[in-house]
Amino acid sequence: MSPLVAGFSSLLDPTVLSCIALGAVLGMLVGAFPGITATMAVALASGFTLTLDPLPGLAVLLTIYVSSNFGDRVPAILVNTPGTPASIATTFDGYAMAQQGKAGLALTSSAFASAVGTFAGLLLLMFAAIPLSRLALQFGPAEMFALVVFGLTMMIGVSGGRVVKGLMAGAFGLLLGAVGRDPITGDLRFTFGLVELSDGVPFIAAIIGLFGIAEVFDQIITHRSGSSAAPITQFGKWFPTRADWRTMLKPLAVGSGVGGVVGVVPATGGDIAGILAWDQARRVSAHPEKFGKGSLEGLTAADTASNATLGGSTTTSLALGIPGDSVMAVMIGSMIVWGIQPGPSLFTRNPELVYSIAGIMIVATLLALGLSLLRMRSVAKLLDLPRHFLWTIILIFCMVGTYAVNNSIFDVGVMLLFGLVGLFMRRFSIPAGPVVLGLLLGKLAESNLRRALEIGGVSNILTSPIAVAILAVSLLALVLPALRAMRQRRRTTPATPVAE
Amino acid sequence: MRPTIIRTASGVLTLAALVTVAGCADRGATVEDAADYPSKDVTLIVPYQAGGASDLAARTLANQMEQHLGTNIIVENRTGGAGSVGLQHLAEAHADGYTIGYLPVETVMLGFQGYDIDPANYDLIGQMVSVPATIAVPADSPYQTLDDLLKAAEEAPGTITVSNSGAGSIWEATTTALGEATGTEFKPVPFDGGAPAVTAAIGGEVDAVIAGISETAPAHAEGQLRVLAVFDEEPSPSLEGVPTAIEEGVDLTMGGWGGIGAPAGLPEEIKQTLEEAFTAAASSEEFTKVITDSGNIPVNVPADEFASFVESEAQNFKALLSDQD
Repeated sequence: MSPLVAGFSSLLDPTVLSCIALGAVLGMLVGAFPGITATMAVALASGFTLTLDPLPGLAVLLTIYVSSNFGDRVPAILVNTPGTPASIATTFDGYAMAQQGKAGLALTSSAFASAVGTFAGLLLLMFAAIPLSRLALQFGPAEMFALVVFGLTMMIGVSGGRVVKGLMAGAFGLLLGAVGRDPITGDLRFTFGLVELSDGVPFIAAIIGLFGIAEVFDQIITHRSGSSAAPITQFGKWFPTRADWRTMLKPLAVGSGVGGVVGVVPATGGDIAGILAWDQARRVSAHPEKFGKGSLEGLTAADTASNATLGGSTTTSLALGIPGDSVMAVMIGSMIVWGIQPGPSLFTRNPELVYSIAGIMIVATLLALGLSLLRMRSVAKLLDLPRHFLWTIILIFCMVGTYAVNNSIFDVGVMLLFGLVGLFMRRFSIPAGPVVLGLLLGKLAESNLRRALEIGGVSNILTSPIAVAILAVSLLALVLPALRAMRQRRRTTPATPVAE
Repeated sequence: MRPTIIRTASGVLTLAALVTVAGCADRGATVEDAADYPSKDVTLIVPYQAGGASDLAARTLANQMEQHLGTNIIVENRTGGAGSVGLQHLAEAHADGYTIGYLPVETVMLGFQGYDIDPANYDLIGQMVSVPATIAVPADSPYQTLDDLLKAAEEAPGTITVSNSGAGSIWEATTTALGEATGTEFKPVPFDGGAPAVTAAIGGEVDAVIAGISETAPAHAEGQLRVLAVFDEEPSPSLEGVPTAIEEGVDLTMGGWGGIGAPAGLPEEIKQTLEEAFTAAASSEEFTKVITDSGNIPVNVPADEFASFVESEAQNFKALLSDQD
C-alpha cells in the first residue's frame, strides 16, 4: 500500500492544493456556462499548465474535468439547458422537478449523485484498472456498433409513453446524423453546399437549441402578463430525506455500474452514459411512469452515471494510453509533453502517480460537492428576476457559449433554428430526447457498422461474442416490454380503455 | 424622463459604435502601417480544435513569436469542414500581417477533395513541424518487417486492413500511396481520429495502422504495437531500431506538416518582419523542446524553401487524390 500513501501524500503540497482550488472554481463556472465544455476548458487551460510541474498542472486539469461535471447540472435543472452534453439526461427529470417546485432537492440530490458516481468510477481506477483496460481493448467497431444499437433501443424509453411521436423524432435525429462527410468514402452528404455542415450538424448548438432555447421561446409565447405562476422560484426543501435516500439507492447503483462500463469503453463519455443509465433505472424502477416527469430516481441515475464515466475513462487513458473520452485526449497530450507516458507500464513504473491522480480527483470531487451545496442558494436569487430579464440572460449566455465552441456564427444560427424546431416539437408534444439520441448515436452506429463490414464483412460482427450478446440484449429490450404490454392488455381487455 | 435619457444614450452609443466599425472596416495595409508593424495584436488562426497537435505547435510557436514581434498573438481556433473553414477564413482576411494562420498539410489536399482551398491564396512564412507517417502492426502480428506485410498484400491484394484517422486524411492518402508505390493494394479503414485508429491496431481489429510518428511511437515503446517503418528521409530517434521505408526498399516519404502563412498579398516589409520572428521562434529551445517531447519533429524551413516544398506537395497530391475518383 506504500504507493497509495506516497501518491496521496504528494498532494499535501500547498501548490497542488491551491491548483485544485483554482481548477474547482474554473470548472464549476465552465460547466455552468452552456456551450463551453470540459474539453474546451481543459484544452485552453493546458496551454498554461504546460509551464507548471506535472502534478500541479494535472491538479488544475483534472479538477476542471471533475468539477465541470458538477457545474453543468445547474443550468440543466434550472433552465432546461445542459451546461455540457454530459448533463443532457439531467434535463429529463431535473427540469421537471424544478417546475414542480423541487429545484432545491433536485440540485442537492444531483450533486450528491454526481459525487457518488465519481467515487465509484475512481474505485475502478484504483483497484481494477489493468483488467478493465483489457475489456476496453475488446471494443472494436463490431462491439461498438452493438453497444450503440443497444443505446438506440432507448428511443422508446425516452419518448415518455408517446411511442409513435418518439420514433418519428428519433428518425429525424438519425437523418440529422447522416449530414456531413461519409465516414468511409469521405463524400459530402446533405450539406447543401455549406462547408460548415461537412463535419455534421453541430451537436452542442443543436442540444442547446432543442432544450434551452426552445424552453425560452415556449415561455415567451405562452407568457401572459400578470400571471405570477412561477413555481421555479420556490426552491422547496433542499436536502433529501431518509425516504428520498432510500429511493436513490437503486439508481445510484445502476448509474455507477453503467457509467463505469461506458467510461472504460474508449471514446464514449458522460452524455451516452447518462441517457443509458436513465433508461436502465427506468426499467428496474417500481415507478417507471414517473420517469421524465420529475422522478428523483431518474435524475439520480443520470447524474451518477455521467460522473462514473470519469474514473472509467481515466482508467482507459492511463492503463492503455488510449483516450477514454475527448477531455482525456487533451490530457494525454499534456502528459506526454511532461514526459509521463500513459500505458500499461505506468502502473508498474510509476504507481504513485496513478494514486496521485485518483487523489486529485477525490479532493476535486469533495470540493465541487461543497461548492455545489454552498452556491446554490445564491442561484435562487437569479431566478427571482422578472421573466423577461431571465430570458434575455439565458439567450445571451447560450449565444455566446455556442459561438465560442467553434468561433462560428453559423453555429449560433443552427442553435436558433433548433430552438424553433424544439418549440414546434413542444407545441405538438413530440419529445426532444429521441432527436438527441438519433443525432448522437446514429453517426456512431453507421460509422462503426461500416468499419466492421470493411474489416471483415457480416461475419466480423457475428463471430464477436460481445457484439452478439449486446445485440441479443437489445432485441430483448425491444421485444419484452411490447410482449408484457400485450399480455397486460389482454388481461384487462374487458375493462373500458383507461382514460388518459 | 428616464426612458428619454436611455433612448438618447443608446442612440449616442450606437452612433459611436458605427463610427468605430466604419473606421476599422477599411483598414488595408498602407505604407505607414508597414513601417510601424506590429502596432496592435496579431491573430493566429488555427483551423483545428484547441488541444490537438496542430494547436500545440501553433500556440507554442506563438508564445515565442510574441517576444520577437513585441506584441500579443491571439490564437483563434476556427474549426470545421476538415480544416477548410479556418483556412478559408484566413484566405479572406486582410493581408496586413495582423491575421496569420497555421497551415497544415491539408492546405494542399482539400482542393482535390471538394473544398474551395488553394495554396496559392496564402503567402508562406515558414514551416515549423514535421510529422512523418509510420506503419505499425499489432504486437502479436505475424508480420515482422515491412516486406512481410507487402508480400501478404501481394498475395491477396485489397484484403490487408490498415486503419487511419479518417476518410480523406493524410494517413489514408499514405495508405493509397504505399499501395501504388509497391504495386499492391491495401484496404484503408478510416476511424474517427488518430487515437481510435491506433487503438484498433493495438486491439488486433485491423492488420496494421498508418499514423503519425507521435501517435505510434508511445505504443511501440510500450510493446503494444510494432512500428515496421517510418516514411521519412532519416530514421527517427524516438523509434530506435526502426528502419525508414527507403531502407526497406520502398521509395516513399510522406507525412503531415505544419507551417505559418498569411493571406496572399502581404506587403514585403511586413512579410520580412514575420519571417524573422518565425525563424527566431522556430529555432528557440522552448519551441523545439515542446515539439520533440510531444513526439513530432521540429523543423525551421524558411519561406522560399517552404513555398517550393508546398508546390511539390500539391503536385504529389494532385496525382494521388485525383485518380481515386
